[in-house]
Amino acid sequence: MYPQVLFQNRQPDRTATIKTYRAGGGYRALADVLQQNAAARVRQVLLDAALLGRGGAAFPAGVKLSTVAEDAPYPRYVVCNADEMEPGTFKDRVLIFADPHQLIEGLILAGFAVHAETGIIFIRPEYEGAAAILEREVRVAEKAGYLGKDILGSGFDYRIVVHRSGGRYICGEVTAQINALQGKRPNPLQPPPYPTEKGLWQKPTVLQNVETLCCMPHIVAKGADWFKNLSLTPSGAGTKIFGISGRVQQPGCYELPMGVPLSEIIEDHAGGMIPGSEFKACLPGGASTGFLPARHYHIPMDFEALKKAGNRLGTGAIMVFDHKTCLVGVTLNLMEFFARESCGWCTPCREGLPFIRELLYEIESGRGKPEYVPMLQEMSRHLWHAYCAFAPGAAAPLASLLDEFEDEIQDHIKRKACPFSALT
Amino acid sequence: MLPKTRKKALQKEIAAAEHARELVVDVLMALQAHYGHVTDEAVFEAADLLGMTPMEIEEVATFYTFIYRRPVGKYVIHVCDSVICWMESERPLLEVLCEKLGIAPGETTADGLFTLLPVCCIGYCDRAPAMLINRKAYGPLTENKIDRILTGLRQEG
Amino acid sequence: MLKLTIDNQPVAVPAGTKVIAAAEKLGIMIPRFCYHPALGSVGACRVCAVSVLKGPRTGIQMSCMLDVEDGMVVATGDPAAVAFRRQVIEWLMANHPHDCPVCDEGGHCLLQDLTVSGGHGRRRFPGKKRTHRDQQLGPLIQHEMNRCIQCYRCVRFYREFAGYPDLGVTGIAARVYFGRFREGTLESPFAGNLIDICPTGVFTDKPSRYKGRRWDFQRSPSICIHCSLGCHTTVSARYREIVRIEARFSPTVNGHFICDRGRYGFAYANAPERPRQGRIDGETQPVSTALDAALERLTTVSRTHGPDAVACIGSARSSLETLGALKRLCERRSWRGPFLWPDAQTARAVQTAAACLAPELRLSMKELEDADFILVVGADPVNEAPMLALALRQAQRQGATIAVCDPRPVALPFAFEHLALAPPFLADAIRIFARAAAGPPQAGVRASGGDAHPPDPNMPPAVQARLAAMGATARTCRRPVIVCGTQIVNSRTVARAADTARMLKSADKPAGLFFVLPGANAFAAALLSDENGAFNTLQAGIADGHVKAVLAVESDLPAAGEGLAPALKSLDLLVVCDYLNTAAARAADILVPTRSVFEEGGIFINQTGCAQRAAPVHVGGTPVAQTGGGDHPPRTFERSIPGAEALSAVQALDRLAGTETADPPAALADLHPVLAPFASRKWPDEGQLLDLSSEAAPSADWPPEEPPAAGKTFELVVRERTFGSEALSQRADCLRPLEKAPRILVHSDDAARLGIAAGDRVALTCAGGVIEGTADVRNTVAAGVVIVDRHRELNWPAAGAGWVRIEAKQIHKIEKERER
Ligand SMILES: Cc1cc2nc3c(=O)[nH]c(=O)nc-3n(C[C@H](O)[C@H](O)[C@H](O)COP(=O)(O)O)c2cc1C
Ligand code: SF4
Ligand code: SF4
Ligand code: SF4
Ligand code: FES
Repeated sequence: MYPQVLFQNRQPDRTATIKTYRAGGGYRALADVLQQNAAARVRQVLLDAALLGRGGAAFPAGVKLSTVAEDAPYPRYVVCNADEMEPGTFKDRVLIFADPHQLIEGLILAGFAVHAETGIIFIRPEYEGAAAILEREVRVAEKAGYLGKDILGSGFDYRIVVHRSGGRYICGEVTAQINALQGKRPNPLQPPPYPTEKGLWQKPTVLQNVETLCCMPHIVAKGADWFKNLSLTPSGAGTKIFGISGRVQQPGCYELPMGVPLSEIIEDHAGGMIPGSEFKACLPGGASTGFLPARHYHIPMDFEALKKAGNRLGTGAIMVFDHKTCLVGVTLNLMEFFARESCGWCTPCREGLPFIRELLYEIESGRGKPEYVPMLQEMSRHLWHAYCAFAPGAAAPLASLLDEFEDEIQDHIKRKACPFSALT
Repeated sequence: MLPKTRKKALQKEIAAAEHARELVVDVLMALQAHYGHVTDEAVFEAADLLGMTPMEIEEVATFYTFIYRRPVGKYVIHVCDSVICWMESERPLLEVLCEKLGIAPGETTADGLFTLLPVCCIGYCDRAPAMLINRKAYGPLTENKIDRILTGLRQEG
Repeated sequence: MLKLTIDNQPVAVPAGTKVIAAAEKLGIMIPRFCYHPALGSVGACRVCAVSVLKGPRTGIQMSCMLDVEDGMVVATGDPAAVAFRRQVIEWLMANHPHDCPVCDEGGHCLLQDLTVSGGHGRRRFPGKKRTHRDQQLGPLIQHEMNRCIQCYRCVRFYREFAGYPDLGVTGIAARVYFGRFREGTLESPFAGNLIDICPTGVFTDKPSRYKGRRWDFQRSPSICIHCSLGCHTTVSARYREIVRIEARFSPTVNGHFICDRGRYGFAYANAPERPRQGRIDGETQPVSTALDAALERLTTVSRTHGPDAVACIGSARSSLETLGALKRLCERRSWRGPFLWPDAQTARAVQTAAACLAPELRLSMKELEDADFILVVGADPVNEAPMLALALRQAQRQGATIAVCDPRPVALPFAFEHLALAPPFLADAIRIFARAAAGPPQAGVRASGGDAHPPDPNMPPAVQARLAAMGATARTCRRPVIVCGTQIVNSRTVARAADTARMLKSADKPAGLFFVLPGANAFAAALLSDENGAFNTLQAGIADGHVKAVLAVESDLPAAGEGLAPALKSLDLLVVCDYLNTAAARAADILVPTRSVFEEGGIFINQTGCAQRAAPVHVGGTPVAQTGGGDHPPRTFERSIPGAEALSAVQALDRLAGTETADPPAALADLHPVLAPFASRKWPDEGQLLDLSSEAAPSADWPPEEPPAAGKTFELVVRERTFGSEALSQRADCLRPLEKAPRILVHSDDAARLGIAAGDRVALTCAGGVIEGTADVRNTVAAGVVIVDRHRELNWPAAGAGWVRIEAKQIHKIEKERER
């Protein structure tokens, strides 16, 4: 059993109370840094800990916090991204349900690090239960003196607001989320200016994923080296919540060291493949990562290793497919998703994705033509020149399907039918 | 019209917010809770409450999955059609539900009880296949389970 | 300046320039849909992709989003970029309805052009096309959403640039929709620009629907003559009919846009009732016969009663050439005139404005956008000079503070401060503002004029405090500007506005002055007339029998609705030269039809003193649609063009003067010193800024305004509206539905005192007759003011001027007849 950090208070069907959280050392980091007025130290330790953003883009959290200039205008904001709408991803939900105060403390620490006044939790409407818990526990934290005016006598004022989204995948993207928070249409806005300079209401805004924030109290409490040493690989740092789903026996969320081999996750933690199933491929980090074929079965799961394999760790949401799963069908489903969720701003995404979906649909339905393959190849490349990272994300599974599983596509075209429909 | 007390409460919330328009989704949700869906009248009311124009409200309202600009039934079923739920179902859930309810996606049953809407991944892949009914999650689902859930709701409704 | 290379050609541009704009300097038009110089870059369409070979980031980049860098090397024809652009077009065309044959955009459609030039010609998309429901958007604009390529230009123009709320984007993903919340007429008087700005056929010109392709049209650059700004337009004609007007880019005047009055106001030129033939005593005659008869009868009157018995009137809608010819005629025949103004007050106000507009003070509309403080006095931009409102908005978007002192309920598409002040207070308002703007008096610095008079005790102290605060703000601003109207103010206000601008300027700032004048050629009229040149001075002469004959040339005599100005009824002889079927034309003893600006062209001097020339568009004649009775063109062949007999007004006037002007523009040089350039120079296409005098107007010795007697007297103000007031555009049927119902407006307090409620019928007994209309009550109207809309349904000419003082007892509520 690996050390449980973010999940140390996780209990089946129970949400940890503030009491439990404090019993495990919770809020001590906050009290410490507040007492010493050590905002700079918070930024430094996060920088040293090489904490990479867990929301998918893997941007170093310490760097982001440090880009808010000392003399930047007020008010400043920290936004917790609990949108989590990437198919296959559900770790943030589990984190909130398991231990809400961990997130609250992380959000306060991030706020303190940049002298923000308000922390906002942006949460998807499907997570109404989690939103209600957070609202309740924010009040508890207020009563306990961790939020409000002059927190723990430090002179630091901070409040946390829970903001419910109306529900759209694009709202998870930083700049779109900022637009959403301002009651505007959540189209992304290409920087510059960067949100840390001009974000919400044109004021400095730091946006972090739930899991990233949850790591913060532990790093501040136990130090950068401790955090780095949690990882099995030197290139990684910390633990990672892997949400695994698909053709495994025990889908769910597991906290494991960064760099744990994929095979271990599947076999030792998720109970192995379901009987009669063979591993064919997985999406290692959500719908906007590429198919990882069986030859990478033992890959260490950290940001570096996956990058080397031409893939991404993304959100660490592993979706496992077996030999009976039609990957054309999977990709078609993903393209449906991306086409439906496109914000509608730029052409490659708004028009290109439905085009691609249509081609895949034809192939999957047995009406594919050989010339569709080069078309798909070209279009998947062209998706990269969209306005935001959404369409390149959609391109990832498509490109890897074309690179790694072209045979499967050709088989569809040749047989004029899906070769897998007979199998299920 | 929104009941006076509800309206007052919203006005208070809006007054307390840093910027009124950050509450546009909340206000629309409140109006939706009252009317069942965001009616044209509700758009005007929201505009009025938030100091925005009806067009601005409409621009936002029509963007989101969980804001309904058309009438819906008492129970809104959001059935996940994303990859894990698709893979984990024998038959697409949407198809099963259409059959059981006798409606097409986007439609409401004649008794006004159920509206069926496909949505993308609802974040319950560990309980796939899954769906939301009035935002409560159900999963993993089988055809039998769906029957039981629908029967239960029919009795309540 | 940064130096870069685009397609092997070097170019130097200032930092902050986008690559797409830098390429344009080299004449390389990189494809674009969403980018528009007036709306900026948003990176939505992705069709402007280029390959960056050297630069901070190489590879495919969007040229509209990419700032130039020193040493950058860009290739627009790189195969990767070309392939990507072609892909973008293919994606956009996947859902396009391919209804080019029935689309009015066809032939000048950017999507069509880029599809053809990009080489996409074979459909590979196996799916179905999406379809939308269109909306009914009013009489001017046709909506066809299926053609949309989601470039977002329309909403960006309508909402961000123009500031109107009723067009937006709804839905998401491939279903985004551009339209109104509900069907209905678009609210903005600039909505017509959607037609120009939409790169496909979603918004097309409704009145000219199916009238032809662009290449079918005779097209010419022209100047709008529906207000004094002189926006640049392109006019299209086909089958002897003016079909469509579009905005023409002008870097200094209107930028890329025009207003809907300018776009749709041309119907008068096609009107079936337009005079096409001469008429003598009610009988149709050839034009030259009518002209001969006119000369003979006018000469007879002149001989019998002396040349003083003949008066010549004209108006600010005539070209400079026509006004000049009219002036020469008066001089040569010693006839009275020209009378170019409806009333003496307006004449003096405009003449003062023309005299005060020193070259160092005047601003173009483009420069106005750069102002950071703007005080608008006695002007109602959306109604009097619509495009001015858009220029003000651009200034405001860049942070300018804008304040308006005007008695009317001024509405503008942006946030501004309105001080509703009655006309007599306006000059003092400027003075209070100016004093605060000048700061504490300094030795050796000339104080602004009129300082001898103490603040007006009748002006509420709160208003005076606001004015002082505005002055203090202007003092700290980089480029404060005064905008001043001339329709409802006297010359004292105009002079003070000029004085204040000069004072601000001398404080070492590029401050400026911007006038709004009544009529396209009001500036020229001011140069060519004196203060006696007003119609109401002439009226006295007619009444006492000294004036026996009037020659009215393209004149908008103040007449109620379609009625004839009463004074003209007692004349022995009325000769009318016009292209409109006015009341005067109908009553004329002799009628000589003239050619409109579309047939003759002409020079118009806008309110900045810039002489601009409209080119002729077609030879004219009765539209084929009319000669053919709506059917196919008649198949009889003749050499002459039916209905094209009309002469230019200059030719007609020359014949009456017994002269011939070989080169009408050159002949202008003798008429006024500032017109001297016309003698020597070839006419510059872009317009000629006249060298105006830079002498300050005499203003220090203006007597104090006679204060109104609160409650006893009222200031009657005639209000122009965007649609329905201006002489030419009010004849356009398609604009009628956009006219607001004409009203008589009073402030709510005054209404209470007068016992008037909104909706009541009210009668104003004026010197020139009774004005009867429906009351409207607003608290955005200045107290002590009654506003009458200038609309054919109201007898507004009875007021006698844009602003007159009346007694409270002249205002009556018309009691409803008892129901029986
Ligand atoms: C289309 C799109 C959707 C995204 N959705 C999410 C999301 O749901 N949750 C999240 O934390 N990050 C999401 N991201 C990543 C965010 O843009 C951002 O990188 C992240 O929230 C920053 O936090 P982190 O640095 O702590 O990871 C998304 C990005 C894109 C392009
Ligand atoms: S890629 Fe373009 S259309 Fe897609 S979400 Fe981003 S901005 Fe919107
Ligand atoms: S309607 Fe025209 S201008 Fe508006 S987005 Fe569509 S194509 Fe662009
Ligand atoms: S603003 Fe005046 S000149 Fe310009 S288009 Fe409109 S009416 Fe014509
Ligand atoms: S013109 Fe550059 S993206 Fe549209």
